[in-house]
Amino acid sequence: MKKKITPVKLLINIVKWAFLLAIMAFTVYPVIYAALGSVKSNFELTLGGGGVLPDKWMFSNYVTAFKANNFGRYTINSLILSAMVTALALITASMAGYVFARREFPGKRIILMTYTSMMFISLGSVTLFPLYSLLKAIGLTKNLFGMALIMTGGQIASVFLIMGFVRSIPRELDEAAYIDGCSLFKVYYMIILPTIRPILAVVLLFSFRMSWNDYITPLVMSIGTENLRTLTVAVVELKYSMQAAAEWHIMLAGASIALIPILIVYLFTHKQFIAGLTAGAVKG
Amino acid sequence: MRKKKRSTRGLVQTYAMLAPNLLLFLATSVYPILWALRYMFVEYDGINPAKFVGLDNFVRIFTRDDVYWQAVRNTLVFASGKIIIVIPLAFIVAILINKPKRLYGFVQAVIFSPTIMSAAVMALVFYLLFNVYNGEINRMLMAIGLTKIPINWLGFDMAMVTVIIISVWGSIGNYMVYFLAGLQQIPLEMYESADIDGASTRQKLFRITLPLLGPVLKIILMLSIIFAFMDMQSIMVLTQGGPFQATNVMYLYVYQLYYSSSSAGGGSFRPQYGYGAAVSVVSACIVGAVTVIYLFLSRKLDKLSD
Repeated sequence: MKKKITPVKLLINIVKWAFLLAIMAFTVYPVIYAALGSVKSNFELTLGGGGVLPDKWMFSNYVTAFKANNFGRYTINSLILSAMVTALALITASMAGYVFARREFPGKRIILMTYTSMMFISLGSVTLFPLYSLLKAIGLTKNLFGMALIMTGGQIASVFLIMGFVRSIPRELDEAAYIDGCSLFKVYYMIILPTIRPILAVVLLFSFRMSWNDYITPLVMSIGTENLRTLTVAVVELKYSMQAAAEWHIMLAGASIALIPILIVYLFTHKQFIAGLTAGAVKG
Repeated sequence: MRKKKRSTRGLVQTYAMLAPNLLLFLATSVYPILWALRYMFVEYDGINPAKFVGLDNFVRIFTRDDVYWQAVRNTLVFASGKIIIVIPLAFIVAILINKPKRLYGFVQAVIFSPTIMSAAVMALVFYLLFNVYNGEINRMLMAIGLTKIPINWLGFDMAMVTVIIISVWGSIGNYMVYFLAGLQQIPLEMYESADIDGASTRQKLFRITLPLLGPVLKIILMLSIIFAFMDMQSIMVLTQGGPFQATNVMYLYVYQLYYSSSSAGGGSFRPQYGYGAAVSVVSACIVGAVTVIYLFLSRKLDKLSD
């Protein structure tokens, strides 16, 4: 049974796709501008008149960005920081999520309530000042590990995601092993971790995105220690440096260096990204 | 006896596994709030010793700080502008692609993509795009004849509009996914039986989809309000709150009291840690109050529609 295409239906479809394509163009355009602009000459960028594609493909912009602006160092910083935050988030949130889902213990209710309420309270960048002092007191301001601890934080959303996922696993699976005398950690390590892999993938992606993209935390934490800057901080810094402010091609090359890794990750994992957000949204 | 021993052992293990997360949570979420609640009564610039000043900081906020209240007004304009644009757009997109089709999956992935990019880095790209003389946006608008003279997108009159456009760009994908999650919770059978009864697409939208989406919509709106009030990263990079405070929002103002407004740093900048703490607490209370008012209003509307 084939549906007949009436003129009205056709019109509705045209309007629908015109709308969707317009929104898609709106979302993609700035990224394409950055990507193509990063291989244009500064002259072409600022004076315009050129086409969408560069007149001359200037891949040398990237070399300049890496060499003149120390971007190699900052890229490595970003990678190390993201790896540390992601690892810390996975380990701490999965243990906490498991314990919250399966164990009863004194203080559980009030702890969970505090977690929930903190999700919606924010004092903004004020918190970074006492946190920096705290790091200073324990001597962690001179390396990326201190920054990673602060960026990891309570991982409230991740803890709740993992808690919800563990609750959806049949209890018998891990209960039996625990009653048989396995330690809690062993049950977690041998049984829970392999089972909750799908949600761990989501937590991994979310914490990588957060740590790779965040600007304000690494900016404040690297005040005075320039060698701790991340790529995001260094790229935005170009806007304020006198010499680079006129060098659009370098700014766009820098922006592209910051965007490319996460875009590649997204290309392969957009389904998990969206599924993870959905899981959080439905539960919340 | 054995059982008891076993349970205390279990308890120790439980707390041990919780500890790393709980400690990080207490240190990064709870401790700074307690710190701010103490320092809001203090005058402190990081160099001279902290001085207890009682309620002076609050007196200053409520009687003398015009810049802050300008920022509060800006926050309201920014948040309402953003929500009024992004929520309907995201909703329409979600309705249009709410079918398990490959092509729709692609559309969804494209529209979601801005949410994975750094707001700060993209703000830098937008800064170039919206540039008055060399920016691509003005060039395009002039080429198709929409404007004869270049629009000063980052000037006093237009900066807020520009900032809102960029925040819509960054969040439409998020709300689209929230709406899709809500839509997918509506049982398919409802549509099937409506089809059997010969309901039109429009009837299905107004009789099934919208009423059943109500509770989800309420949560989405609440989240969008809270997020919009705290949003500041792209504004910070794009305009630094300027020109002349035109785009300064509450949380950006707090940042500027702590760390100088541009990261280049002014030589004479003197941080106001105590006053900033007071401002941030008042700001958090404003967000809380707006949320409560919203919840109250939405409950009232519910009662009316019953």
